[in-house]
Amino acid sequence: MQEGFGIDLPLTATIVIGCIVVGYFILITGFGTYFSRFSRDINDFFFSGQRFAWWLAAASMVATGIGSYSYLKYSEQGFLTGTSSTMTYMNDWFIVPFFMFGWLPIIYFARVRSIPEYFERRFNRTARYIAVCIIMAYMFFYIGYNLFTIGVALQGMFGLPILYSVPVVAFFLGAYVTFGGQTAVIFTDLFQGVMLYIAGGLAIMAGIWALGGFSEWWAYLPESHRLPFVHLTDDPKFNTAGLFWGEALAGSIAFSFMNQGFIMRYLAIKSVHDGRKAALFNVIVTLPISAIIVGAVGWVAKSLVMKQAVEGGALEGINAVHIENTFHTFIVVTWETLHQNSILFGFVIAALTAALMSTIDTLINACAAIGIYDIYKPLIKPDADDKHYLKAARWASVIATVVGVLLVIWFAQQRGSLMQIHYKGIMVIIPSIVTTIFLGVFWKRFTAPAACISMLVGAVFTLITNWYPDWIDPLSRFVCGPDNDVYIYMRALFGMVVTGIFGVGISLFTQPRDAEEIAGLTVDTIDEGMAKYKGGKPNHTVGKKARHLPVAFDESLEHNVIRISPSTMETLKAEEGDLIYMADSRWYLGGLRSEHVKVAAPHDREDDAVLLSKATFEEAYLLDGKAVTLEKIF
Amino acid sequence: MTTKNLPTPRSVALGLAVTAVLLIYIYAYPRLIISWLGTENPWTSYLYLYGFGAGFFMMGIFIILRTGACQLDRGHDKLWFWVLMLGFIFFAVVHALWIVASLNIPYLGV
Repeated sequence: MQEGFGIDLPLTATIVIGCIVVGYFILITGFGTYFSRFSRDINDFFFSGQRFAWWLAAASMVATGIGSYSYLKYSEQGFLTGTSSTMTYMNDWFIVPFFMFGWLPIIYFARVRSIPEYFERRFNRTARYIAVCIIMAYMFFYIGYNLFTIGVALQGMFGLPILYSVPVVAFFLGAYVTFGGQTAVIFTDLFQGVMLYIAGGLAIMAGIWALGGFSEWWAYLPESHRLPFVHLTDDPKFNTAGLFWGEALAGSIAFSFMNQGFIMRYLAIKSVHDGRKAALFNVIVTLPISAIIVGAVGWVAKSLVMKQAVEGGALEGINAVHIENTFHTFIVVTWETLHQNSILFGFVIAALTAALMSTIDTLINACAAIGIYDIYKPLIKPDADDKHYLKAARWASVIATVVGVLLVIWFAQQRGSLMQIHYKGIMVIIPSIVTTIFLGVFWKRFTAPAACISMLVGAVFTLITNWYPDWIDPLSRFVCGPDNDVYIYMRALFGMVVTGIFGVGISLFTQPRDAEEIAGLTVDTIDEGMAKYKGGKPNHTVGKKARHLPVAFDESLEHNVIRISPSTMETLKAEEGDLIYMADSRWYLGGLRSEHVKVAAPHDREDDAVLLSKATFEEAYLLDGKAVTLEKIF
Repeated sequence: MTTKNLPTPRSVALGLAVTAVLLIYIYAYPRLIISWLGTENPWTSYLYLYGFGAGFFMMGIFIILRTGACQLDRGHDKLWFWVLMLGFIFFAVVHALWIVASLNIPYLGV
């Protein structure tokens, strides 16, 4: 019998659950490794060649955005405060205009490979390496944290020591990320996202069923737990004022602007237009559903406890639910409402591990990208061939995994709750770099010295408030925030204000870069970025897709150039030299077999065939006899 | 040090005026809703979030239109502009209905 999460698992149940989890690990590793065949160079390895449909990237973000800790943390929050546990997932819309029309087109058209690379191009090399330090700290912190939390979960349920279980988990993870790259990450995350929703939905439905239906669940949920927002200031760790400044602004900007893993997902999409669709889907659909999936077991738990109190004991068909430690809410309630069924419970636990794998694989791939594009290539080996960099990228993935595992040793030695360690770390790291990116994108007069100094000063001041939280008092009072010296979220506002004041002040007295040098890197020069990306004047006339076109070879054509019929040109509203996205017509491939090409003068054949060279055909991973669909980018 | 990046007096005046308006808004707005509804009212949190959120959101809309990042007569930009506006309304309405449902459906617990 193992006692760790408030449930008593019989040995047979432990074995069944363990087998399901290990089987899942092997399945997902094999699935991810299969996609290594689609990584021929480092562009494929990290960005999948900017080829995917929006829905594939958006669906794969489901799993990336839910960490292994999410189920445990948000179910606990849901039990304590109710449906307001959704607040952190449903307050992102305020920054969407800045992302959709600012940051996304800038990094896409500038072909920025990493966030630090943007810092060098927008400011200077010093800014780049300050950013490398901060972003790597952020990502390694997350890798170590996620590995540690799954270690805690496995220890709680199976009694496996963290220092043994984590390396095993990391081995499976590292295997498919190392060989498969971004394509493997996207496809395994797509699969795991489905798993997460099914398992989370199963846990919720079992709870609703145990309660006697949806209306019973709502009727027994106290009013305080039904409301979508918590009190403005009461709870020092979860209050509306703090959540707005620290989470809706700083957190959402960090999530969208500086999370290299998410940025790479957007850069894997076929166009900015599709990137906007993915962002829209993510904020309107994915995040709210994810908020329900990870938090609703806590809401169910609260109703269960209240209904038990009214009826004077256990509800019909299940054991009485007692939650002595709120951190155990998800495990305890799921185990009981699933009638202690080992197979179904094992499936849910496999989803917990899916949450871990899908978050960390993205982070490992992102760390490796920064390792290659910001450290290895510019500083160690600038002129190697692509094959060499692909090999180096795989080693970088291995190193990122190993560093993450080593950090678990450090996490295991920390005192205090995991929540405190997590938020203290993140809210110190985020503010200065988020503010610098924001000023860099939306204020063209922001200078390189100002960026470097304000990033450092902002980070140091924010760090110091861990020991002097009263520095935050005036600011928190000014915005009617909490006044309690805890300031988990208000610390981020403090850091942003300090960074902003230094950034603006220093900019006024330092030399900005020439406008030509930063063309395409600020919000007012996106048109120039677009023209550079295309290599000509963009054609914004909106056309239609040309579907199911046959392919024919014409070796006289240059690489990545196609010729199409005049009628297809008219359908697309395309002109000679326009950028076209060519993909296998089977929509469910999501762009796995596709390529960006330029269109030459129309051919004069009688059919609507797409003419292209064999090399272009192979680079797009197209298959003989399969039709293609064309879409004009601009 | 160079003075090449110093703004013109007109820009300074404009910048100071905008900053002053923002600071007054940030200081006065939450005090206004608290004095009107009190801190315990669930609509206070709603108005805090969407009051400040709307300010930040509209600042974003202003910037992307002003800088030409979003041009309503270009490609799909007009569509995306309306998506942005409707998205904001969508979240504001969903949260408002959520509060109404929370307050008006009877609670059966003890």
